[in-house]
Amino acid sequence: MQSLADYIRLYFIIEAQYIKARMQYRADFIISSIGMFFSSLATLGVFWVILESVPDLAGWSLMEMIFIYAFYMIAISPMQILFDHAWNIRFHVREGTFLKYYFRPLNMMFYYMSEMFDLKGLTQLLVGIALLVYASNQLNIDWTFLRLALLLITLFSAALVQISIIVAASCAAFWVIDSYPVLGLAWKLREFSPYPMSIFDGAFRFAFTYLIPIGFVAFYPSQLFLRPEEVSPLIYFSPIVGIGLFTITYWIWTKGVNSYTGTGS
Amino acid sequence: MRSYFPVARATYMIGLVYRFGFLFGIVGNLVYLGVAYYLWKSIYRYSDVIRGLTFNETFIYVALGSAIFILLKTYADWIIHYEIREGAIAMYLTKPIDYQIYALFANFGALLMNLSAITVPTALVMLFVFKVNFVFGPGLFLFPISLLLAFLISFSIDYFVGLIGFYSESVWGLSITKEIIVTVFSGALIPLQFFPDGIQRVLYWLPFQAIYHTPLMMLTRPNQGLDVFLAMILVQLLWAGLLFWLARLFYNQAIKVLRIAGG
Amino acid sequence: MSLIHIDGLTKHFKILNRREGLRGAFRDLFSGDYRTVEAVAGISFDIEPGEIVGYIGPNGAGKSTTIKMMTGILKPTSGVIQVNGLAPYDNRIRQAQIMGVVFGQRTQLWWDLPVIESFKILKEIYKVDQKMFDRHMDMFNELVGLKALYPQQVRTLSLGQRMLCDITASFLHNPQVVFLDEPTIGLDISVKAKIRTVIKELNQEHNTTIILTTHDLGDVEALCHRIIIIDKGRILYDGDIKRVNALFGAYRTLKLQIDKFTDSTLHELNLKLTDCYGAKHGITIAETEEFWTDVTIDQARTPLSDVLSFVMNNFPVIDVRILEISMENVVQRVYEGALG
Repeated sequence: MQSLADYIRLYFIIEAQYIKARMQYRADFIISSIGMFFSSLATLGVFWVILESVPDLAGWSLMEMIFIYAFYMIAISPMQILFDHAWNIRFHVREGTFLKYYFRPLNMMFYYMSEMFDLKGLTQLLVGIALLVYASNQLNIDWTFLRLALLLITLFSAALVQISIIVAASCAAFWVIDSYPVLGLAWKLREFSPYPMSIFDGAFRFAFTYLIPIGFVAFYPSQLFLRPEEVSPLIYFSPIVGIGLFTITYWIWTKGVNSYTGTGS
Repeated sequence: MRSYFPVARATYMIGLVYRFGFLFGIVGNLVYLGVAYYLWKSIYRYSDVIRGLTFNETFIYVALGSAIFILLKTYADWIIHYEIREGAIAMYLTKPIDYQIYALFANFGALLMNLSAITVPTALVMLFVFKVNFVFGPGLFLFPISLLLAFLISFSIDYFVGLIGFYSESVWGLSITKEIIVTVFSGALIPLQFFPDGIQRVLYWLPFQAIYHTPLMMLTRPNQGLDVFLAMILVQLLWAGLLFWLARLFYNQAIKVLRIAGG
Repeated sequence: MSLIHIDGLTKHFKILNRREGLRGAFRDLFSGDYRTVEAVAGISFDIEPGEIVGYIGPNGAGKSTTIKMMTGILKPTSGVIQVNGLAPYDNRIRQAQIMGVVFGQRTQLWWDLPVIESFKILKEIYKVDQKMFDRHMDMFNELVGLKALYPQQVRTLSLGQRMLCDITASFLHNPQVVFLDEPTIGLDISVKAKIRTVIKELNQEHNTTIILTTHDLGDVEALCHRIIIIDKGRILYDGDIKRVNALFGAYRTLKLQIDKFTDSTLHELNLKLTDCYGAKHGITIAETEEFWTDVTIDQARTPLSDVLSFVMNNFPVIDVRILEISMENVVQRVYEGALG
């Protein structure tokens, strides 16, 4: 049986080897990183263009939008880097190669996800961190020890929310042949995470806060640092949302894994 | 040419089978419309007219833009990448077919599928839920032609990028960058009028606006003069012809790589 | 206590009776119209440590289903199954520690990594101590020449090399039982021979139990002490290889391409053979592919060479192929009581 320490050590060993093997494809790494750079900044570009014509977006200034966006970029990085293999579940399930993950004395989700480590996601992470530093400087945010701790906790739970949504969507592959659209939709929703939730009301606000809580990926946690006085108590539930959602996702994964019987008799 | 029609029909039929994609496509598009609605509502909080456009005009533009975006989304580059990886390209070489025409018709079938599955329902929602009014004018009649030309341009660009896959394994990075450039600079996401003037002028010289901006203008402002629209169509025609021909040339070069390297 | 204990094991699958068309697909989402398929219909056997057991049967017989239950992937519908005293399904991770699995052509090693790195990772996963690791790697090197493959990425290996690596990898952590599913499929004779040697050696080294599923009777003859034949979810035979060997060894199938083949040719052939060899010639004739006639001969009763020259003298034969008996034929004969 493996302890947490065992898993962490194993992860480092596997990924070190994986990265070494991938680095042989230097050109691919550079071009993908450039592609990642552009794609991650596209929506920010749209905000920038819009904010050239209006003073603020639902009361949020450009610099605040940049802060939220940077938070978003950092929060989605763990999903991008560590859980990228989720996109291939449908191929492995269809071709029967998913069986091999049952045979090792390892947690299956760990084993499956550890087979891919998305290097280009690091570009997004670095750009996100740079932007966050820049924006918080411009906004004169005072980073006390408490604030920093809060930042890490909220980033952690935001990452969990994003991971949960994508992995849960990818589990559709266990039951449906044409499962890609589910992932496609989940991925599209991610694009709306850096939007200020205050522009929404009614059904949309409800859906993005309680149903598929993309609001917790960037906007709500950012409020803690941008408008601490206006913060609703909801925000302090972020870690619970993150952990709760991941528990649900893990349950879905387990159900999927148990129902998969492979192809052939 | 006629012998390629069954190819289009085949991809159309495949679309029918993948009902999930159909359903989720509609849901996804409706969600996008909702988000766009709220976003632009908030932008227009301060004034009724921004950059010469009212909220209604902008929203119609964005909504129709998304419907057309899905319509014109060809996966020509991803398909080529996939076929290269699977080694299927070699198979096409041995058959008496023109690969570019083949790809064109295959993607066209997908376009017809998207038209019936996603665009038409979205347009209906627009008309009856959001109650937008359509103005009549010469633009409306030229719209289908414009759309067809836009499809050709979009296809040619995607096909071209796909061919780069013969030279490099880094297909993801290239396709994503292309997608961003096309999406942002074509006016699909936000009306081009919102870009700073300097940038706008540059964008009008690029083929990307001929994909979305032109047909959208025909739909949202259909009663500008016929001469204005004919000029736009001419521009589209030029770009379509140029890019299609360039892609063809590139194919002839790229295929040599395959023949030498052994695919 | 046996290593593997199975008693009255059954597995049923519920399959949806799919309906036609768009409306049918919609109704399928809500209906409960299932039919039950009995993949495994009550089997029992015990396997002791050190045995090499051939688990054979035609496609769809229930082999894979049983293996999946033994390895903890599938949950049995009813019955008892214990491996090393524990129910596999409820103890997947713990059981994985004492098991090795190789299934056919899909590798379990890390595709992009050099071979040696895969072995090192396995060492970490299974917590193999350095001494055992070194000993095993040396042994693998002697048997298989593994060292030469160390720096190569798994994806660059030929099928035969990959199979050898997968098989040796499955023994690395000294498991109590190893499941080999079609280990020699698609390989040429020399590689097959090598793999069979390796399996035998590894079994003797640590008295590892081996469960082998295969369609290749050469594998069975070379390796197995014991055979379990399963068909339609039930066990047809469970016993010593020697009795079944007589069955396989003796039978040969002659594939003939006869010129000017007509509907009556088969009948004519049968008549002529009965004429020549008597009614109990033990030869069966069938047309299995277009233009090819299969003549299956029990060499214990009639020598192959005799039948071949007889047919060639009496019919215009253009092409001949000689094959060992197929798995399906074996099962057919067992059904008919060939083993009594």
